[in-house]
Amino acid sequence: MGIIMISERLKATILKELKLDDYDIQDTMRADEVPGWDSLNHINVIIAVEKEYGVRFKNIEVLKLKCIGDLQKLVDSKAENKS
Amino acid sequence: MNKNLDSKILWKVWKHNAETKPDKDAIVLWFAGEEPFRWTFKNLYAKAEEYAYALRKNGIKKDEVVAIILKHNIEFYPIYMGISLAGAIPAVLAYPNPRLHPDKFRQGIEGMSKRSGLDWIVSERSLEEIIAPLVNHETSTIKGIQFALEWDLSEEKDPAIVSDIIETQNSIKSSDPFLLQHSSGTTGLQKPVLLSHKAVLDHVQNYAEAIHFSESDKVASWLPLYHDMGLIAAYHIPLAYGMTQIQIDTFEWVMIPSLLLEVVSKEKASLSWLPNFSYNLMADKIQDEDIEEIGDISLESWRMIINCSEPVRYESHKKFYERFSKYGLKKHVLATCYAMAETTYAVTQTEPGVDPAFIYADRNAMSAGKIVANSSIDNSRICVSSGKLVNGCEIKIVDDNRIPVGDDAIGEVVIKSVSMFDGYRNYPEKTAEAVQDGWYYSGDFGFKHNGNYYVIGRKKDVIIAAGNNIYPEDVEDTLSKVEGVIPGRVVAFGEYDEEIGSEQVSVIVETNISLRDDQKQLKMAILKAGMLMDVTIKKIYLVPARWLIKSSAGKPSRKANKERINNNENIEWV
Repeated sequence: MGIIMISERLKATILKELKLDDYDIQDTMRADEVPGWDSLNHINVIIAVEKEYGVRFKNIEVLKLKCIGDLQKLVDSKAENKS
Repeated sequence: MNKNLDSKILWKVWKHNAETKPDKDAIVLWFAGEEPFRWTFKNLYAKAEEYAYALRKNGIKKDEVVAIILKHNIEFYPIYMGISLAGAIPAVLAYPNPRLHPDKFRQGIEGMSKRSGLDWIVSERSLEEIIAPLVNHETSTIKGIQFALEWDLSEEKDPAIVSDIIETQNSIKSSDPFLLQHSSGTTGLQKPVLLSHKAVLDHVQNYAEAIHFSESDKVASWLPLYHDMGLIAAYHIPLAYGMTQIQIDTFEWVMIPSLLLEVVSKEKASLSWLPNFSYNLMADKIQDEDIEEIGDISLESWRMIINCSEPVRYESHKKFYERFSKYGLKKHVLATCYAMAETTYAVTQTEPGVDPAFIYADRNAMSAGKIVANSSIDNSRICVSSGKLVNGCEIKIVDDNRIPVGDDAIGEVVIKSVSMFDGYRNYPEKTAEAVQDGWYYSGDFGFKHNGNYYVIGRKKDVIIAAGNNIYPEDVEDTLSKVEGVIPGRVVAFGEYDEEIGSEQVSVIVETNISLRDDQKQLKMAILKAGMLMDVTIKKIYLVPARWLIKSSAGKPSRKANKERINNNENIEWV
């Protein structure tokens, strides 16, 4: 799998939701590697991303996310379908 | 009255259920996006017998403690039962969260092992690398790891082993230990609670009367089985009583909270036990679109949703009912109970179909240890009742000198129960601290008002965050090792978060770092240190050296320093 660039927009959305000033977010990172992104906060991050992009993820799509790169890909595909 | 429970041996009850209701669903395992898996009572018991054989063949003997560390898995349940059928004692341990550092995980198991005398661990191959050092350790009590999921159960059975198991089973008495539970914690502060067959079965019988169980009830749960509410209320009670239980993976539920609604609607579940935070989570985070994705749902079958394990909040019940009443959630299904592992489970319970009583307790009077009911919320705290005594239980409310106090006086809740534990395993000093003359001193503060019991706080400093017990000592010890933190100069405490309906972890940390940018880095290092012990630290207050007030014991006082922070006391950096 090639490198997926995490967009500044997605990164900013995640950091804002987690109340972090900055953090080096990489595509291969799992959610639990980011401070504050625990299982309880997961749903908050997902809702924040959905709101930011005006999209909706299906439950099963959320469950299948393994890393932040997967979230970026999902966001991109949803945004593409929307346009 | 369920006569089947009279045998007082759990596995005999399971066998009886397998014979009398063979084709009824015993355990339904629900996986998001997949067809559920269904264990009937007959198939489940038959598989448990196969595991009992394999466990014995692999060296597991009577009275040995067998810890299970497995993900949500269909085989978990027959393995657990198989351990008991082989005469050993099952103990469910939490599956390590990926963020938990392997050393911290091992440290936790080692701590447990010292007290519990863990003999074996049943786990999966993917955890071998993490668990193996525990077994190889010189002082370890653990004899080996059993990868039960890889066993071939179809091989021909050796009659000698079969008769050995039968002999073991016939020797088991109702007073013999049946299961071992651990309180939460990560560095060996866990207290192992051993419960007998009799304690568990008496509790099933008494609790059944309190909430009017019937065999047509169905339990829906996402609760982890290493927690007493998940293990006893949502697993053992329905399994013994002959009810169907539907189990959802905890991690799947927390990512998709609407799963519980889907399960209740599709399986027509009638009973659930939930910690307070989950009412807020479901009411606030489940969107209409999530429910549309499931299809038409009806929550009419839910006859009791019992709030337990965290202080019950009136607002949480209110918002839950308001959010889901349009999907058929009936009024008066929201119930409460007060429970703990040391008494097997419930001590008090509200009556089915009746809203929990609540009062506006005057805050000033509460500060003086008294309950005075106000007519409105002004200067009041809303206290929600945990109901009345379950049969077989007694409660006293006592003062600091352990002298009983009357109604409407706040004191420590002290309990006696026919389902009481036999003491903390290999921990006589903790047992002596907690049990006196047959009464268990819970460390919880509460009061009795108009025949109902109310639990309002804790004497101990333990933080209950989203149903998990977190010991402040664990957090303080870990943060003391972070570079830039003055060792031993940390306090951790819980702060109630209205939004999530639970406590969050806050810390006050002394440091000599005064530059703002360096402090930001220190805060990040503290957050990461918390992550490695699977604790999310919500608020970090950095303070200069010698800011923290010490208690009379010479250690920084959690209570006094929390008050200073809450009073917005000025923090000056030189």
